[in-house]
Amino acid sequence: MLPLELLQTMMARSVLAKEPFVSANLLTAGKADPLARLRIYRNNTRSSLTAVLIAVFPVTVRLVDERFFRFVASEFIRRYPPVESRLARYGAGFPRFLKSIDTLSDMPVVAETARLEWAIAEALDAASLPPRTLAEYDNTDLGMSPDILLQPSLRLIISHWSVMSVWKAHQKATLAEQFGGWMRRPERVALWRSGESVRLILLDRSNFAFLHALKHGFGLEQAISRAVALDPMFDLVSALVRLFGDGLVTDVRVSAHPFPI
Amino acid sequence: MSRTFQSLAIPATAGIGLRSRHIGEMLTRRPSAGWLEVHAENYMGEGAGVEALERLRQIYPLSVHGVGLSLGSAQGVDRSHLERLRKVCERFQPDLVSEHLAWSVADGAYLNDLLPLRYDEKALAVVARNVETVQDVLKRQVLIENLSAYLAFADSSMNEAEFLAELVARTGCGLLLDVNNVHVSAHNLQYDAKTFIDALPAEAIGEIHLAGHATNQVGADTVLIDDHGSRVPPVVWSLYHHAISRLGPRPTLIEWDTDVPVLDVLLGEAMWADMLSASIMFNRKQTARRAAVTKPRAVPTVLSFENGGSGMPVLAAFAAVRAGRIVPLPHDRQGGYHAAA
Repeated sequence: MLPLELLQTMMARSVLAKEPFVSANLLTAGKADPLARLRIYRNNTRSSLTAVLIAVFPVTVRLVDERFFRFVASEFIRRYPPVESRLARYGAGFPRFLKSIDTLSDMPVVAETARLEWAIAEALDAASLPPRTLAEYDNTDLGMSPDILLQPSLRLIISHWSVMSVWKAHQKATLAEQFGGWMRRPERVALWRSGESVRLILLDRSNFAFLHALKHGFGLEQAISRAVALDPMFDLVSALVRLFGDGLVTDVRVSAHPFPI
Repeated sequence: MSRTFQSLAIPATAGIGLRSRHIGEMLTRRPSAGWLEVHAENYMGEGAGVEALERLRQIYPLSVHGVGLSLGSAQGVDRSHLERLRKVCERFQPDLVSEHLAWSVADGAYLNDLLPLRYDEKALAVVARNVETVQDVLKRQVLIENLSAYLAFADSSMNEAEFLAELVARTGCGLLLDVNNVHVSAHNLQYDAKTFIDALPAEAIGEIHLAGHATNQVGADTVLIDDHGSRVPPVVWSLYHHAISRLGPRPTLIEWDTDVPVLDVLLGEAMWADMLSASIMFNRKQTARRAAVTKPRAVPTVLSFENGGSGMPVLAAFAAVRAGRIVPLPHDRQGGYHAAA
C-alpha cells in the first residue's frame, strides 16, 4: 500500500495533469469509472483557478479574447499552481508568464496591462489607513528631512507602453470601441485603494521619482533631490499639497535616518 | 491592533454564508439573519471586505469556515496558514470555527479543491495530529465537516462516518454535518445517506450546512457535483428533516457560492430551514404529549417528494411533518442545544 504522502503527491499530479498519474486500481467510484471521476477534480481545479485569474485580469482577458486567455491560464495553472490557499495572492507570476508566450511577442502591452492589473489586485487587498492633513503638522517641529509615510496600498508602475490609457479605455465598453489602440509611450502610474475601488493617476518623471523615494522610506530630503535631479523646476509645494489632498499621507515624523542614505 | 467585540453566541437557527456581492446590502439593510459565516481565506488580507466584516461582526454572530488548512495532508498543516487563521479568529472573535475532512495541498501545490482521504488508521493518525495542532494554536474546539466526494480509495479500511466518529473521540473536535455533502457523496459512491448521518456522534454535531448541487450526466454515469449553485433541493430538505429529527435544532447555514442570487433568496432559504426545524420540534412535543397518554409507537420517517409539484421544495418536508411522520427522540436528546457547547 502506498504511503499517504506519496499517494497524495500522485493524486495532486493527476489533478494538475502532470505525470505520473495515479493508478486506477487504487480508486473506486461505485459503478463509475474512477479515472473519469478523477477528471472532475481536474476540471474543478482548472476552472476555479481560471475564474480567479479572469477576475484579477479582466482587461487582459478582453485584450486577448477569453478563449485564448483560458488556454493560457490553463497552462499557467498546470505549470505554476498556487503554493498557498490565499487566492488573493495567486496570479503574481502571471504577467511574467504572459511575456514568455511566443504568440504574444508582438503584443507586449498584454503582459504590461496584466502587470498593472496585478498591482490593482494587490492594492485592493492592502490596508487603507486614516489619512492625515497638512494642518495637523502646523506647529510641529519635524526637523529638516522628516519621514513621510504613505498609504500601504500605494503601488507605482512604470511601463514603456500606454498601459493606463488601455486600462481606462476598457472600463467602459463604449470607450473600448472608440479606443485608438496601444502605443509605445512611457506611462508612470500611481495607484492606491480608495474604499472598495482604486484610484489611478499618471505622473511625470520627477513626481514619480519623488513618490518612489518616499514609498521606500528614503525621507523627504532624498525624495526632493531625486525629483530635482530629473526636473530642476520640480514644484515641491504642489507635490506635497497633492499628496495630502489625495489622502496618501498616513504619518509624518522626525526621520529615523537623519543623514542621507 | 484587534478590537474587542461583544460576545455573540450563534443560535440553533439558520444563518447565511456572507458573499461579497451582499456585503453592502447587509450593512445598509441589516436584515434579520440569525448569524453569518465567512470563508477564513477571504479575510486574511486588509481589503475593504475586512473592514466591512468588522462592522457586520458588531451586529451578527459569526462563524469562520476555513477551506485551505488541508487537515488531511500527510505533510502536516501549513504553520504560516494556521497563523493567519489564528489572526482571523483573533480579529473577528467568531463563535464557531470549522474546517474540512479533506486535503488540498500536496507536492508543493494548493489545488483549490477538497480531495478525499484514504480512510485508514494511518490517515486517522495524520488528521488527528493536525486537528490537535489547530485546536492547540486556536485554543478552541474546531468543527470538522464531512466531504462531498466523487471517488474513494480502494484500500480504505473504514468509512468516512466511522473515521469522523473516531476523530471526535481522539481529538475532542466537533462536527459540521453538511447534509448536501452527505447526499452528493452517498449518491456518487453508492451508500445510504441516512445511515451515514445516524453513524455520527450526535452530541458532537455543532453545525449543519445546506446547499444545492448540480447533476451531470457523463455517459452512463450520473454524477452529482457539489457546486452550491441553486436552492436546497427536495432530497436535501428530506435529509435535513431526518437530521433535525435525530439531533434537535442546530445552527444551520445556507451556502451559496456559484451564481449567487439576490440576498433575499438566501434569507428565504434560511427562513424555510428555521420553519422546518420549528415544525419538527413542535410535532415532537405533540408526539411526546400523546405518548404520555398512549403507548408510543415509532414510525419510520419516510418523505416522498414524488407528488411535490410545488416551486418550493421545502413544502414537501412540511407536508411530511404535518402528517406526523416523525420518530420521537430519546429523552436525552430533547434538551436545548447551544452551538458553543
